[in-house]
Amino acid sequence: MSTAVSPSPTPAPSAAAARPTTQRRRSRDWVHALLMTAPALAGLIAFVAVPFGYAVVLSLHKARLGSDRPPAFVGLEQYRRILTDPDLSGRFLHALLNNLTFALAVVPLQTGLALALAVLLNRKLRAIGLFRAVFFLPVVFPMALVAVIWRLILARSDQGILNSLLHQLSFGHWGSFDWLGSPLTAMASVVVLSVWQGVGFQMVILLAGLQAIPDERYEAAQLDRASRWQQFRHVTLPGIRTTLIFVALLTSVLSFRVFDQVYILVRGGGLNENATRTVMYEAVTTAFDQNNIGRASAITVVFFLIVLVLTLVQRRVARGDDA
Amino acid sequence: MTDRRHIRLGLLLALPAVFLTACGGTGSTATTSAGDGTGTITIWAHQGQDSENTVLQNAVNSFNGSQSAIKATLKFVPEKDYTKTLTATSASALPDIVEFDGPMMSSFVYNKKLSPISDYVLPATVANATAAVKAQGTLDGKLYGLGMYDSGLGIYANKKLLDAAGVKYPTSVLDDWTAADFTAAVQKLAAANPSHKALDLKEDYGLATEWGTYGMSPIVWSAGGALVKQGKAAGAIDSPAVVDAFRTFQSWKPYVDADTDGNAFVNGRVALSWVGHWAYPAYSKALGSDLTVLPLPDFGNGAKTGQGSWAWGISSGSQHAKAAGKFLDYLLGDTNVTAMTTADGAVPATKTALAASPLYRTGGPLHLFAQELAEPCGDTDITKSCVAVTRPLTAGYPVITAQFSQALNDIYGGADPQTSLAKAARAIDQDFSDNDGYSLTK
Repeated sequence: MSTAVSPSPTPAPSAAAARPTTQRRRSRDWVHALLMTAPALAGLIAFVAVPFGYAVVLSLHKARLGSDRPPAFVGLEQYRRILTDPDLSGRFLHALLNNLTFALAVVPLQTGLALALAVLLNRKLRAIGLFRAVFFLPVVFPMALVAVIWRLILARSDQGILNSLLHQLSFGHWGSFDWLGSPLTAMASVVVLSVWQGVGFQMVILLAGLQAIPDERYEAAQLDRASRWQQFRHVTLPGIRTTLIFVALLTSVLSFRVFDQVYILVRGGGLNENATRTVMYEAVTTAFDQNNIGRASAITVVFFLIVLVLTLVQRRVARGDDA
Repeated sequence: MTDRRHIRLGLLLALPAVFLTACGGTGSTATTSAGDGTGTITIWAHQGQDSENTVLQNAVNSFNGSQSAIKATLKFVPEKDYTKTLTATSASALPDIVEFDGPMMSSFVYNKKLSPISDYVLPATVANATAAVKAQGTLDGKLYGLGMYDSGLGIYANKKLLDAAGVKYPTSVLDDWTAADFTAAVQKLAAANPSHKALDLKEDYGLATEWGTYGMSPIVWSAGGALVKQGKAAGAIDSPAVVDAFRTFQSWKPYVDADTDGNAFVNGRVALSWVGHWAYPAYSKALGSDLTVLPLPDFGNGAKTGQGSWAWGISSGSQHAKAAGKFLDYLLGDTNVTAMTTADGAVPATKTALAASPLYRTGGPLHLFAQELAEPCGDTDITKSCVAVTRPLTAGYPVITAQFSQALNDIYGGADPQTSLAKAARAIDQDFSDNDGYSLTK
């Protein structure tokens, strides 16, 4: 909005009378704009700004859940603890590292797999709807159920489905292996089950992107004798570029939120907590198991800033490609 | 113009702050009022097994039918969210009567959500409660809660498998096995078993949970330690004897069945199951006369067991405390206690119901639990001769259990017991010092 006065469409009888008119119109515009944006703005303030502001305020206090004692102001002490206190910062930084590992594994894996599935299922086959539904099915399952199923698969005893399968395939040379308990495979297990559960969602978005590519382009490519790979490389990929970037961004933001599977598997037993603790897990257990709202708020505020920065960097990189 | 925009922007940004000041700082000061012993009382309970819920609902119905002055209404909250619900509800919004999990009581007292009940229930009700349950419900000399049932831990053993492997086992509380005996027995049983497993620790409940604390803190007490001693965890939870005990605990893992299907003991895959009284109905059905119950191993300071379970109290905001007390007298009477403990198999928490219980009375198959609970230690005087220890009665319990169970899970996963327990001790002590030791008098 600039402060320059735009020429009034109706000739003004005098300069003295013109000013109030434009001013009135401008203030009327402003009222309209405010009215139009009010619902969204109110929602934004009530559900995003206020809780976040509240979190920032709480993070500066010693506050306990359910306590009727007033929170005591401690300044940046909570931040100092989660960032420099050897016990707490170790856990927090480790959780952050776990989050990054998870994201680095999940984002390419899930996006790639979703793309592969989408290409496979973008055919005019009989009962293709059925295949699509089957691959989409895990998305509909609640994470609690998925975790229970995968607990059976990854169980450390020789009764575990994966262990007994490997036992069969190796002609009895494979013993029982503690997939969830070993620090080496605990995170990998969480990654695999998360990808299995979530990939259908990305697949559906990519499938929509694929179907928006006009058939003529493929026809043209075929006339040019482009191979299947060349078609994929020069028609399909450019055609779904924006969708792909969107999916990758979405997957990485979602992957930072990873919490349910870790929470459920730890409670189900046998999961290596240290190797799979994520920042959200740390925040939720600090807030609701230890009732320590102050520290949990500090964790979420720091995490929000980190995710914000990462997302901005990612967007910049994705846009940089465009130019 | 620009100035005005700045003002508007400032207002917009200030709005949340205004919101905050409006919301914050509303310390609810609820005061209990006795009332005239009539009126409508509200009750919250955790939604347990169906059989338990039915008994509770029946108790409320028959109470309402037995008199006309008081009308009780019962509301169930799913167990998973129950404690969080109580924690997040302000004292003035709580119902007249609340059920709560034993170790959480101190936290609710500290946050002024509970009122002492002795003024409202009959002296006879208090006198008939078992000593262990009274120990759990008493804080600072005041009684805040009483339960219908108590709990105990033991090792269920499959006699047939033990005999087949030639393993000797205790026959009473007195000739308890030492930790070394127990480890040797586990190894011997595992060697005799084609699956090389011998023990079930209810790993499927998760060790990083309240089960971890409840089920495994007897190891701490039996090694002469404590979760906290005089408000400090350092030196209590990580003493050399406790660290040693957890090295032993760690050494069992190769012989522990992960029990993903929850049937390791029932199907005879393992001979020993370390669990609470609640496993009895399923175990006795599967094993019949092959089943026996043994005390937990002795790590030097005598065998110990955890105790404590759901309890009932009156909220500090109740305006009908007298009527609420009358309902509790009724609920904690033998008829309801017997109905409840028949439904869930738990140890009756009144002396008369316990003496009459076919499972727990002298000569009953679970008499061991009654014997153990008859020797309560409370939460502080953990001597060699007492057996049933109450989890720490402090508002810091949520932190203690979170830290201890995490350390336990780490140790089970292979972490060094010394490091893990010392870390838990530091975290607990820091939280206590942050909160002035959770002193009730502040």
